[in-house]
Amino acid sequence: MIYAILLIGLATGVPIALAIIAALLVFMGYGEAPYSLRVVATEMFKGMNSFPLLAIPLFVLAGEVMNESGITSRIIAFANVLVGRLRAGLALVNIWASVIFAGLSGSAVADTSAIGRVFIPEMEKHGYSRPFAAALTAASSVIGPIIPPSIPVIIYALIVSGVSVPALFLAGIVPGILLAIFLSVFVMLTVKVDHGDQAIGLTAEPASKAILGGILPLLMPVFVVGSILLGVVTPTEAASFAVAYALFLGIFVYRNIKLSSLPRLFSEAMRDSAVILIIIAAVSAANWLLTYNRVPNMLTDWVLLNVDSKTTFLIATILLFLFVGLFLEGIAAMLVLVPILHPIAVGMGVDPVHFGILVIFNLMIGLITPPLGLCLFVAEGIAQVGMARLTMAILPFFFVEVLVLLLLTFVPETVIWLPRVMGY
Amino acid sequence: AQAQTIRLAHVDPDEWTASKKGAAAHIFKNIVEGETDLTVELFPAGALGNEDELVAQAQDNLTQVVLVSGAMSKACPAASVLDIPYTFSSATIAWDVLDGDFGDALAEHCLAQTGLRTLAYGETGFRNFTNGTREIRTPADMEGLKFRVQPIPLYVEMVKGLGGEPTPIAWTELPNALSTGVVDGQENPVGVIYNNGLHKLQKYMTLDGHVYAADFILISDEFYQSLTPAQQAVVARAARIAGNMGRSIQQWSTAEGVNKVQAEGMQVYSPTADEIAAFAEKAQPAVVEYLRGELGEDAVWIDRLQESVAAASQ
Amino acid sequence: MKTVNEFARRLFALGAGLSMALVFAIIFVNSLRRYTVGQSVSWGEELPIYLTIYGVMFGLALAYLQDRHIRFTVLTDFLSVSVREKLFAAVDLVSFATGVALAFSGHAFAVRRGNLDASGLKSAGNWLAETTGIDSLVWVAKVGTWQYAIAIGGALLAVAAALKFFERISAIKAVQA
Ligand code: NA
Ligand code: NA
Repeated sequence: MIYAILLIGLATGVPIALAIIAALLVFMGYGEAPYSLRVVATEMFKGMNSFPLLAIPLFVLAGEVMNESGITSRIIAFANVLVGRLRAGLALVNIWASVIFAGLSGSAVADTSAIGRVFIPEMEKHGYSRPFAAALTAASSVIGPIIPPSIPVIIYALIVSGVSVPALFLAGIVPGILLAIFLSVFVMLTVKVDHGDQAIGLTAEPASKAILGGILPLLMPVFVVGSILLGVVTPTEAASFAVAYALFLGIFVYRNIKLSSLPRLFSEAMRDSAVILIIIAAVSAANWLLTYNRVPNMLTDWVLLNVDSKTTFLIATILLFLFVGLFLEGIAAMLVLVPILHPIAVGMGVDPVHFGILVIFNLMIGLITPPLGLCLFVAEGIAQVGMARLTMAILPFFFVEVLVLLLLTFVPETVIWLPRVMGY
Repeated sequence: AQAQTIRLAHVDPDEWTASKKGAAAHIFKNIVEGETDLTVELFPAGALGNEDELVAQAQDNLTQVVLVSGAMSKACPAASVLDIPYTFSSATIAWDVLDGDFGDALAEHCLAQTGLRTLAYGETGFRNFTNGTREIRTPADMEGLKFRVQPIPLYVEMVKGLGGEPTPIAWTELPNALSTGVVDGQENPVGVIYNNGLHKLQKYMTLDGHVYAADFILISDEFYQSLTPAQQAVVARAARIAGNMGRSIQQWSTAEGVNKVQAEGMQVYSPTADEIAAFAEKAQPAVVEYLRGELGEDAVWIDRLQESVAAASQ
Repeated sequence: MKTVNEFARRLFALGAGLSMALVFAIIFVNSLRRYTVGQSVSWGEELPIYLTIYGVMFGLALAYLQDRHIRFTVLTDFLSVSVREKLFAAVDLVSFATGVALAFSGHAFAVRRGNLDASGLKSAGNWLAETTGIDSLVWVAKVGTWQYAIAIGGALLAVAAALKFFERISAIKAVQA
């Protein structure tokens, strides 16, 4: 019954969070005692009643303020100086701008939208096909939540007690850069030379100015992530400092943000956070009901009975998350599955930080896979080439990302080396 | 009738050699399942929610048995008299008081107020001060030191009364606050201090035992009344044994913890009876006055407790 | 109709924006104080959490009004535009019903044990009531005041869904006409 409502709701386009809430309300409202309607609200409230969770709206706000202050063009100019002269320069700038953007924002969707607006038209002008430009933009923006700061990491650390945000933040850096390198190599190998598209003409500014312009925003991730890593501030406090710094840059340094636009920025940040947080609330309520009926215990017992080796378990986990990532929004998938899989992984001797990054990387790939891939939606919204063509164009990038995922899975040092060196 | 299921929830680890509530839960399950046709499902480690939420669930008979400590006094304010600092000079006196007339009367009062039947009392243990600045032997040594306290008014009043500066900080922020010097010290049971590595951030511990925290083994009375008299008897007996099991495990980990923190370099001081009396003299009046204001007519429980303790201490 | 929608949008945006601004200001100032003067206020954690929950409820309604929620569109993409718009109008009705039911659920939740104290806000609530002489301000320190967010969120969602429904219906009629 509860699943039928959920499936019909999802298929007909009821927003995901509301479909979950509706199914729970029907179940609790008509279910036999001791269930009661009240439990849904109780557990939703509980799902949001957490201080670390506040890092999410604050990082979203920092990202929106950064965007508003014209940061995107500075990041692009900076990336242009780094890689614009290489073969397939414009495509490389797209990728590395995402790496820099990743340090400022925890959200891949924001990255797709900010960079896509500039690059999809620009790359087409230089002879790339429009679907390719859109696909590359979406594929490289996945780096955003892997390199810190990262909303999925904050949520992961909330779900799994004993895995710290700083350790996960550090662990994401190498995988994020590896992904950028693999995408870059792939692009350089496959893009035909006669594009002759070196991106030098992208901005008229001299290199020195572009570098200077990129330094101020780049101080933010260094400072914010650095202070979290040093254990000086909690992620939530650091996020508030990030907002303050972004406001300072936008209002006093770049002077692109008028005080009159602040109300809009604040309300849009809360609106975009609400879309995430309401899913968290709805899934927590659903999780409580599942726990109450011991579903996780039964699943755990089943897995332990049927999966005997670490390798089998990891491959099964990857396939499961790739499959789930096709249909489910990443955070919802994490909230449901991680509480079950994490203890099993640790029991099998997988490093908890390693496992965390694998799960996050895995689900971020889900952002570019149809039918439900948020970055894909945003890129399509900008490019308007049709889902079918975009899906074909993104397929090669999907395989590159899965390849990197396999590398991270079977060479754990790529993930845990950095946190180890830093003493976590 | 269909065999009934007891859902039993608590927030401690699911383990019986070091986790007091874990041990209590397991022995309760074994006895009840062995001697009745009831099934007991365990929900450890906060799987169903934090203590406040567990109390609310038990009041709704969603979760039938819960093992909680601090959350009880929010549902039944009279229970907060147990938190008056330096009330119990030893755990055995606390046991005598709680297992005697006072404990029974409090259980009855809280049953009427909350619909929750206190089947038995366990213990979370005595709380002690640690700090990184100097050894504390008398209240004068607390002067000017900043102590992290839970954001609970009673603790704020207590530290103020002792001459320290109370700073409410969330538990998750505590290690940070200690290592950056935002606060000089904190207070917790020994087991909590050792298991969370706080002794590595602090140099001195004083075993002043300012607050004795009891565990409450609670059952939804609605559910309890649905049991047969024979089942009720088994459940009540199993809970008393569980409470004693929890107390023993707690005593074990405290004794072990005191030795371990010393082995790892912490200086531990056990105050004399006279010194404890000096602490009590400074801390109690402020807290008692605050509590009288809070409790209203429930304030009689303060006097009842003090009488029972006096009788038990003879 | 347009003006009603615009008024609702502004109201939701005001609630969401105000909460975001307050949450940022409280956390920022409180952490600055902690790392500079070494002191922080006891309500510095609880209040931003509760404000965020209210903010989420307004943001949820705002996002609904602007069609910003994450939904699963693979099946609906196959439908023709006019059929899809009708389907989404039906979805609005489902969302409306969900909002109403959620409001009931939230009301039942908040009144059940709402008069318990929110520990971090207790002294602040008492202080407010004493200094202003307005006794009802002690409600600042009661969890029910904040728990009521879910009920209000359900009501706001119902309003947003109803408005969206009428907006879609009139758009469909405009196309047909
Ligand atoms: Na990031
Ligand atoms: Na990109």
